[in-house]
Amino acid sequence: MNNSILQTRDLAIGYPAGKRLGMSGNRRSGNRSKIVAEGMSLELREGELVCLLGPNGSGKSTLMRTLAGVQKPLGGEVLLSGTRLERLSARDGARLLSLVLTDKVLTGNLSVYALVALGRYPYTGWAGNLSPRDEAVVRHAIETTGTRMFAHRHLGDLSDGERQKVMIARAIAQDTPVIMLDEPTAHLDLPNRLEIVRLLKMLAREQKKAIVLSTHELDMALQTADRIWLMRPVDAPHGERKSSIVSGIPESLVLDGQLEQAFRRKGFEFDLHSGSFRFRHDAERTIGLVGDGVRAYWTRRALERIGCRVVPGTAVPQHVVVAGENGTGHWQFFDGSTRNPHKLQALSDVLTAVGVSASSGEVVR
Amino acid sequence: MAVRISGAQASDGHAWPLLSPKAGMLFVLLLALLLLFLLDIVLGSVPIPLESVIGILLGRGAEHPAWEKIITAIRLPKAATAVIAGAALSVSGLQMQTLFRNPLAGPSVLGISAGASLGVAVVMLASGGAANAFAIRQLGFGGSWLIVIAATLGAMAVLLIVLGIAVRIRDNVVLLIVGIMVGNITISLISIWQYFSEPEQIQDYLIWTFGSLGGVLGPQLAVLGAVVALGLLVSFSASKSLNVLLLGENYARSLGMSTFFVRVSVIAATSLLAGSVTGFCGPIGFIGIAVPHLTRSMLDTSDHRFLMPSCCLVGGILMLACDIVAQMPGTRTTLPINAVTALIGSPVVIWVIMKQRNLKSSFS
Repeated sequence: MNNSILQTRDLAIGYPAGKRLGMSGNRRSGNRSKIVAEGMSLELREGELVCLLGPNGSGKSTLMRTLAGVQKPLGGEVLLSGTRLERLSARDGARLLSLVLTDKVLTGNLSVYALVALGRYPYTGWAGNLSPRDEAVVRHAIETTGTRMFAHRHLGDLSDGERQKVMIARAIAQDTPVIMLDEPTAHLDLPNRLEIVRLLKMLAREQKKAIVLSTHELDMALQTADRIWLMRPVDAPHGERKSSIVSGIPESLVLDGQLEQAFRRKGFEFDLHSGSFRFRHDAERTIGLVGDGVRAYWTRRALERIGCRVVPGTAVPQHVVVAGENGTGHWQFFDGSTRNPHKLQALSDVLTAVGVSASSGEVVR
Repeated sequence: MAVRISGAQASDGHAWPLLSPKAGMLFVLLLALLLLFLLDIVLGSVPIPLESVIGILLGRGAEHPAWEKIITAIRLPKAATAVIAGAALSVSGLQMQTLFRNPLAGPSVLGISAGASLGVAVVMLASGGAANAFAIRQLGFGGSWLIVIAATLGAMAVLLIVLGIAVRIRDNVVLLIVGIMVGNITISLISIWQYFSEPEQIQDYLIWTFGSLGGVLGPQLAVLGAVVALGLLVSFSASKSLNVLLLGENYARSLGMSTFFVRVSVIAATSLLAGSVTGFCGPIGFIGIAVPHLTRSMLDTSDHRFLMPSCCLVGGILMLACDIVAQMPGTRTTLPINAVTALIGSPVVIWVIMKQRNLKSSFS
């Protein structure tokens, strides 16, 4: 059975000629259509959570808008449930795909319950009255997202995390096989982020919804996504910026180095072990490190943070040995003389105080 | 794909909130409207006892034939005009606030009233020395249509310009400034026209700008009533879409709403409502902005299906109250209605904002 719910064929996204938005007033480029990305063939399956990753300006929002039918494609086609997007009526489209946007909602006196109920718009008659079934779907959406305790409250009185859950509840009430979310975890603290992601994962697993979310959170995407759509800028002729997209499971994108390429910047490096980017400190000196386990890992982190290049072993004049058991252990710092600090804090102080000693320092630029 | 509904009540605790506000509130409003309507008819420069007023209204006649004449020919049409004007301006303000996503939107702010005024000015000032405001009113049926069409077209022209800019500029504050500027341009066009007009014509026009509920009699009242009824019908039918528009245009489109259709419907309705009322009664300020806010905070809802009828009631109540004050019961003088609406209304709005503090949370 082919359970693909959304497909693109040779899709080109961007802005048509003369419709460029922005304040630049650049007439020359404004008269040509601006292709953000082209030749995209993607597939979204039921029950799948896809994270759309890419640096700022790579066209994530444009792709989302095009897939949702808010923006017209420049070429190719989008098939939603097997039908070309432009052949679907607005109402039918709204029964297949729902959106959670970053747009600020004009809350008015809108209660959470009334807002979620607006998700039933494509199903109600001209007067917008909810049938018992509509109401049941709305209540189910509120229960699912755990927003029942504030269903009576006004949207303006909610925290950011609560509001995001309510907007997701609205999308669930729309009862569509596809849900697309534009940066749903932006501006949220860690517990709220995790809760949102857990909720989306659950929707994909249990209700077989196909979910696409754009995000900047690499860690989260690598841990939870069934698939990643990675957009990355590539240099095109005439100095134009275009993006290309790759689709794959998170782990293979890491191993292929695709992820690193997409986000490569000066001053950062991608750590293949942790799957996250970190500062690349310009090392002032080289320090040897002996030891293993958790303490050795955090010792290495501390050394790197204060500007050391860490190499294994004792070959370099300055080196640190992580000694003893966890909890009772200490550190040995060799620098011609030997010091035995009992806390990582003390080791760090010693290293800062000693600096790059002339006698032993192999200075690395 | 179907959603599985859990049959039993999953978690108790809070009862599910009601989507509709309490019907009792609407009943109270209706009662208040009827009471003020009666009061507006009873009070006036000529004191008429309540029993006689009720007698006349019930068709039993009165001891003085003059009283009957005053009630049926002057006070009853004036009170009816007040209700119609109040309802029309309030509903047009409500729609514009939702469409423009701006708490300060209203017929008088975005230049709609100014556009209607231009239409009226064109008719009044261009129709030569003989034809002045009263002459046009005396034309009866035909003349009143002329005023309505001119005012509606004027209002629509300004609204289309503002909305055309709104498509390009999505910033509400910018749009508001643009609306005010378009209004200013319209007003300056009128000034230039006035400058080259005869003093009598200018005076007629000036009197018209003070606003009056008293000049709409007989056939004109029927015309005004019919046009406003049409405008209200269009407005009411857009309620469902206006609710979705609260989420913003992108959400509205993703829910399958045709934003084009709603825009056209709101422009048409607002032009009809604000245009016709302005044509007959002059540019009446404040009501269009204030009543939606008052109604929202009173009903504690943003559902346009309830806000629309409630705005009609509250608008009618407020307009009747203003009219009662304007005719200064017991004296022979009357104040211009336009001054009274602002004088009474503005403090009310300030009070509501201070008390509820919901203006910012409503629109920020």
